[in-house]
Amino acid sequence: MSISATPLTPEVVSKDGNAMVLSMGPQHPSTHGVLQIMLEIEGENIVKAEPEIGYLHTGIEKNCEGQFWSTAQTNCERMDYLAPSNNAFCYALAVEKLLGITDQIPERAQQIRVLNAELTRIASHCVWLGTGGIDLGALSVFFYTFDLRENILDLQEAAGGARMHPNYIRVGGVNGDLPEGYIERLDSLIEKFPGRMRDLRALLQANPILQDRMIDVGIMTPEEAVQWNVTGPSLRASGVAYDVRRAYPYSGYEQYQFDVPTREEGDSYARFLVRLDEMEESMRIIKQVRDRLLKTGGPVMIDDTKVAPPPKETIALSMEALIHHFKYMTEGFRVPPGDVYQATESPRGELAYYIVSDGGNRPYRVRTRPPSMYNLQSLKGMAPGNLIADLVVMIGSLDPVFGEVDR
Amino acid sequence: MPSTQSPPLLGGAIDPTAVRPPIDDAIVERVDPSRVHQRLAELKNEGYTMLLDVGGVDYPQRTPRFDVVYHLLKMPLRKTSVSEVGTPQRLRLLCGVPADATTLPTATDLWKSADWAEREIYDLFGITFDGHPDMRRIQMPNDWEGYPLRKDYPMRGPARERSPRPAFALKTNVNAGTPPSGRTLEALQKQIARAKSGAHGEQS
Repeated sequence: MSISATPLTPEVVSKDGNAMVLSMGPQHPSTHGVLQIMLEIEGENIVKAEPEIGYLHTGIEKNCEGQFWSTAQTNCERMDYLAPSNNAFCYALAVEKLLGITDQIPERAQQIRVLNAELTRIASHCVWLGTGGIDLGALSVFFYTFDLRENILDLQEAAGGARMHPNYIRVGGVNGDLPEGYIERLDSLIEKFPGRMRDLRALLQANPILQDRMIDVGIMTPEEAVQWNVTGPSLRASGVAYDVRRAYPYSGYEQYQFDVPTREEGDSYARFLVRLDEMEESMRIIKQVRDRLLKTGGPVMIDDTKVAPPPKETIALSMEALIHHFKYMTEGFRVPPGDVYQATESPRGELAYYIVSDGGNRPYRVRTRPPSMYNLQSLKGMAPGNLIADLVVMIGSLDPVFGEVDR
Repeated sequence: MPSTQSPPLLGGAIDPTAVRPPIDDAIVERVDPSRVHQRLAELKNEGYTMLLDVGGVDYPQRTPRFDVVYHLLKMPLRKTSVSEVGTPQRLRLLCGVPADATTLPTATDLWKSADWAEREIYDLFGITFDGHPDMRRIQMPNDWEGYPLRKDYPMRGPARERSPRPAFALKTNVNAGTPPSGRTLEALQKQIARAKSGAHGEQS
């Protein structure tokens, strides 16, 4: 392949009148990654905005087709790198549906999965809040949120062995039980959280500068939001209370008490408030999971050595375990042919996998429904009529992650 | 163990969507390419207001070869509470696209959100959408050859022989003269060739 690509031409946006074409990005600090936006502007006003994506395309969906069912999950975790556990969660649920083992997942494993998903949601919103604050000039927020995130990453490291991509949630359950002392560390986080949220709200929520920047910027009506296929907090800020955890409960979400925060206004400030509320709702769920975990014992992985590797400690003792372990690692497992669409609520919206199996030991096709991509696409309808400076606020309020947009 | 470079094509002849186990995740419908736009418009009128996703699948040994998969959701077009949303109905519309006529009518006139999804299918599968306002590649570079998510596209990209090496790696591009160390590119290549042929100890 030659490297001399045809340059992005201004034909991307139609040119007429006194409009000027401005390329924002792909190295702009406020684009949260590698996003280029071709803007047609008249003075400071945006006439048309055309986001150019693909700078971070790494062919994850193609790569998955060459991996075992178990190792493809590792790739999937790299899509939304701010919420890796949510990606693994959704993939595992989809494969379990195809295998027909959804109702055999141990109770404790389901609780640990929910715990991880909600912890990751808070950690992901922490990054959004911190970097979004920097976009608006509120630099100190970053240190508060990343301190909180650090505690959550420590918990993930304790459970899964890695901070960023723990690969802890697996097909069939989770990889090993929670370590000793985990609940105590979780308790200290639960104790610290309300005070930290109070700080953040005090810093941001009533801050007149932030309100001036965010209120009435990037308004989406419910009709527009549905038409543009926006999901997650951004949709709920427009007044549509669609939350996959409530609409299609999975992994025991129907047992937990939590509200779905919504706002009526549909502007950037509403999206900001919805995410703040969501962090607190997540903590509510975490507290309930914690109490349940203390009562629930038992295995954390399905007792089916065709789908899950046998416990490590049995390998030295049992011939069968050794054989199963060897087969699992070298051949993987087979999944009956069929297709499935599994949706979950990731921090950004409806994250779903459409997975096709041909009966082999590798996925035939793994199609992701990337919430970030569709949320970002709505910028085309949202940006015109606003100022360039407000575009930064709108991108921040949509919270795109480019690992997922470009995959 | 099969190489990861060529994913197994076994099973491409069968249609996994036809033999799927009873999984209750959506209403599944199959439609011909000639009727897909009409059907989508009907469904939109029936209340499927959200086009959640459009994806593609390639079954090289099946006729028709491709599947374009529309995921629809029945969502009220107004402000709603959790109980009003309830459990919205999902619908999956599969449309078989033959290998010799890889064109479908666009859905962008019904849903604006179909824009990038259709571009992505064009980019990765080579299926074009008639009437799409901006049918360009979206993920891959504009001058990319081939459609990466097709099953006959190699996992690690086109064969290396077919693609020229980048300009900076070409010998003709080295015109900076002899580097200070005195080791020219030719000398280095000779050294490598000697090492490869196993002629050790011949230091010159």
